[in-house]
Amino acid sequence: MAPPLRARLAASPALAGALGVALLLLAWEVAARLLWRDPATLPAPSEAVLVALRLLTPGEIAMHVLISLGRILAGFTLAAVAGITLGVLCGRVAAVERLLRPFVEAFRPVPPLAWIPIAIVWFGLGEASKVFVIFLGAFFPIWTSAWRGAALVPQVLLDSARSMEVRGPALLFRVVLPASLPDIAVGLRVALGLSFGVLVAAELIAAERGMGRLVMQARELGQMGVAIFAIFLIGIISLLADQQLSAIIRRSVGRWRPV
Amino acid sequence: MNARHALPPLALLAALLLGWEAAAAAGWLTPIRFPPPSRLATSFRELALEGFPFGAFLSTHVVATLRRVLAGYLIAVALAVPLGLLIGASPLLDRMASPVVAFGRSIATLSLLPLALVWFGTEEAPKVFLIGFGCFWVMLSNVIAAIKLVDPVLLRAARSMDTPPRDIFLRVMLPAALPRIAAGARMALGMGFVVIVGAEMIGTSIGLGALIMEARTFYRSDITMVGMACIGAIGFALTALLGLLEARLMPWRRGRQT
Amino acid sequence: MTQGAAIDVLGVAKRFATDPPGAPAVLGGVDLSIGANEFVALVGRSGCGKTTLLNIIAGLETASAGEVRVGGTRVTGPGGGKGVVFQQNALFPWLTAARNIAFAARNRGLDAAAAAALAAELLRLVGLDGAAAKYPCELSGGMQQRVAIARALALDPAILLMDEPFGALDEITRTEMQEELLRVWEARRKTVVFVTHSITEALLLADRIIVLAPRPGRIVLELRPGLPRPRRRSEPTLARLHEQIWDALRDDHAAARA
Repeated sequence: MAPPLRARLAASPALAGALGVALLLLAWEVAARLLWRDPATLPAPSEAVLVALRLLTPGEIAMHVLISLGRILAGFTLAAVAGITLGVLCGRVAAVERLLRPFVEAFRPVPPLAWIPIAIVWFGLGEASKVFVIFLGAFFPIWTSAWRGAALVPQVLLDSARSMEVRGPALLFRVVLPASLPDIAVGLRVALGLSFGVLVAAELIAAERGMGRLVMQARELGQMGVAIFAIFLIGIISLLADQQLSAIIRRSVGRWRPV
Repeated sequence: MNARHALPPLALLAALLLGWEAAAAAGWLTPIRFPPPSRLATSFRELALEGFPFGAFLSTHVVATLRRVLAGYLIAVALAVPLGLLIGASPLLDRMASPVVAFGRSIATLSLLPLALVWFGTEEAPKVFLIGFGCFWVMLSNVIAAIKLVDPVLLRAARSMDTPPRDIFLRVMLPAALPRIAAGARMALGMGFVVIVGAEMIGTSIGLGALIMEARTFYRSDITMVGMACIGAIGFALTALLGLLEARLMPWRRGRQT
Repeated sequence: MTQGAAIDVLGVAKRFATDPPGAPAVLGGVDLSIGANEFVALVGRSGCGKTTLLNIIAGLETASAGEVRVGGTRVTGPGGGKGVVFQQNALFPWLTAARNIAFAARNRGLDAAAAAALAAELLRLVGLDGAAAKYPCELSGGMQQRVAIARALALDPAILLMDEPFGALDEITRTEMQEELLRVWEARRKTVVFVTHSITEALLLADRIIVLAPRPGRIVLELRPGLPRPRRRSEPTLARLHEQIWDALRDDHAAARA
């Protein structure tokens, strides 16, 4: 590699990253067109995009995306409320921890996807079952991080607050909760990533609409290009969601704690 | 947790189980949606001794699932570790690979299932592929991070002792990175387990994921619940096992949390 | 503004539940009377119980025996006009300097506007008017402790308890902070109990110095420097008193080791 190019790549991570992605796409394109040569099973990226744009309307894509995002929002929000509340309580109120922790730990090893069949039994094939499974997936990382954050609040902060006559629920809400935010933020990011995986699986298995359904539908119709397009779409959207969440975290917690 | 502290949750558990049993007996909870604990016990026996569906024993399902997980996991680790070491050791490769790895991790593994079915048929191969895919990215990003995060102080110390580069890599970087690589291995196995449960829910009748899904179509939610408990137990056992292995292989980390 | 209150320590003893039965107590029956607006320093080596005594006066810990009265009222818990400044950074990291101070003011019952005004006033007092909107992570150690002092003052406390507040600062900053503290104290007289392991610091600041020795924690010496402030380290009286205190500490330590 010519020295100037190497130097430029070393200086700019964005450029190096873009090059990496470009090389990969190029390799795929070449391999698909020249070696595999069967667009029905493995289309090149360009072919996939063109086919997808031809067969799907933007409105259709938007609908599936919005439905999926709606489910994630609902499940994630419920998990955040429940996880943060119970986590903070477990972290600071010994009685609550002793009571709840064994139950939570007993359910934790069961992967969220394993809940899908029973969720369908309890809630049918509608929105509720998907939201329920996403809730389960997001709950555990959030609960764990909230519990950890609350349990590890420096004693000196608590003593400070007590010397200012802050006690009981006020102590939890005005001191423990803000102090735990950096840890909770990490849990939220992990939970969001998990939510997408769980959502897609749930939609693959039992849904009429949504991004996961889009992939399944494409396969049923033999539209591999559309399926690949949808898979990448899911990936891009989950990356965007994570970026948004990170930005929110940086603007709030990031102001008072290097994040 | 000492005896006095174990009492409240045990009491709560007993109360819940009894309440559940009573509610089912009284007809408040439909047996299809909430099979009572007594029913679950018999279902477990049935599953273990007679098999479901159609004579597939619990052990058959467990073995099938574990085989798939292991196969995919080992392939993923075999590919990810050398690649990860290479990428982690070269800042240029790392920068080039970083968005690719980030994107690879963000692809919902199960979304590839339909594609995998087309490419690999409906036997073991698509499942192994999916598990491999899911485990690969987790393992890769952890190995890369493990190398990158080796304490620079250690490297400087080695260089100031005139250690040749190959030895620096083999005798300083690798051992220093090992704890994090082990943690990644644990996470990857967890991921593999999660993936298989989902992957088995489509188009298979043998395997734990298949079991709980099939049971639903037969209106046997009791079998589903027993299956879920088994999945949880196995997942827990796997994590515990890996934890033990980790402690054995890295005695210098004893007493510290990863 | 609340006047400084007198503190009476009556036969206070403290034993930790985790101490083995024969071990000497952390505090063994301490009697101490501190007058209103008096500046008292507690000096001793680590483990002599000075911090424990301070915490008991503050109500953050309970005594195993004896009681403490502040302004004639028995101490039963923290708060209630007992301001505390800790050695470690105890500012709430999620609040700006001004809001940290306002937090204390609001707890006293002031409304938002009054609290903000008080915060501004106290920041000016400690020489930090430009730092109102800064977060603790943006402030140096010395500045953080100044905010901590301002926050304690915002409670309009009857007594001010300070546990090695300058212990974590470098020597130059510490000297500056000692001068700052005296200046603030001149402006807002309170009863101050100041814990330190630095004999020099105690001699520079206090009206009265109480020397404690460990195992069991007890008072071994009490003296008054009797010099006007600000005092200079080079003053011969200080050197003599330093020797006196040092001897008291050393004798006790030698006796304990014999």
